[in-house]
Amino acid sequence: MSMSETTGQPSFVIMQIGKRHFALPSDIVVELAPPVRLHRFPHTSPLLAGVIVRRGRIVPVYDAASVLVGNSAFTQRFYLIARRRPGKSADFGAIPVNGECELASGEVLAPAPDRPVYVTGSLAFNDELIDVLDFSALAALNAPSGSQPRSAEIPS
Amino acid sequence: MNQTNDSAAKLRRVRHPERVILFFVSNQMFAIAAEAVQEIRSTDSLAGAAAEIENSALPKVRHTIERGRHTFYVVNGCMHFGLPVTRPTLVLILRQLRVVVLVDRIDRMAEIPAVYSLPAAFEGDERRWYRGLAYLDDTVIPVIDPSGFLAASEFQQLDRAAKAAAAATDSELEGAVQA
Repeated sequence: MSMSETTGQPSFVIMQIGKRHFALPSDIVVELAPPVRLHRFPHTSPLLAGVIVRRGRIVPVYDAASVLVGNSAFTQRFYLIARRRPGKSADFGAIPVNGECELASGEVLAPAPDRPVYVTGSLAFNDELIDVLDFSALAALNAPSGSQPRSAEIPS
Repeated sequence: MNQTNDSAAKLRRVRHPERVILFFVSNQMFAIAAEAVQEIRSTDSLAGAAAEIENSALPKVRHTIERGRHTFYVVNGCMHFGLPVTRPTLVLILRQLRVVVLVDRIDRMAEIPAVYSLPAAFEGDERRWYRGLAYLDDTVIPVIDPSGFLAASEFQQLDRAAKAAAAATDSELEGAVQA
């Protein structure tokens, strides 16, 4: 039974990226994976850092930190694997996270008008208001804008 | 999410094993189907046969090679994949395509059990570059799509330029003979 069923409020997985916390709806989260090897190869999708292999699947890794906290620190301890779309889609993506994740529930407040499109609201967590993310909107930032291959920028 | 989209999003595998050549371009390993490669030669052995393209519209193609009355275009693998440019020592002469690829070195021949489709999250040029991904010896290796080295429009562009260059050379020779 999920927390949302218990409390009647939506539940979220709270993740730490850099020094900030963010929330993802728990129904799209698949697992928190250990820091397995990141495989890199040339590509031009700007938000992707590479792929990991997890449970027989090749899962693309989104460098969410570059968008959310402005740097791309690959000193993460875990990968949070989530579905890019709600439901039973097998379209998975992984986000490197810096610390343990927690489950929380609560009412989501409407986002401030100046928040980016991938922020769907705010959630009170440990005396702070944290952004609730729309993973598919965040992943949509991945559309290539130029022809400079990503792997040329990040040495493996 | 309907069933069709679900199954489309899942990893698809071509389930028959495949012989591939593993090679390096700028310290990055790639795989190409062995049957897609006609010949592997050293760059030195082609030095006399290669003709330079002046002011090539495609920076990754600087030379041509004539083979069997066909013009083959020499693609620099580093520039094609946007990798730091190294000094290539080998060329892969592709089968059924007028493409020769400059590479750093061959690692080995191997058999890959499957080719996994590139995750949908990859949306850029890599969808043209790769047939998919292979997982071999705990390493994910991109499997090259040979037709991704030069698009049909790029072949046309290069063919037009080669024709124009040949015509210019002919008229220069004619002028020299008349003089």
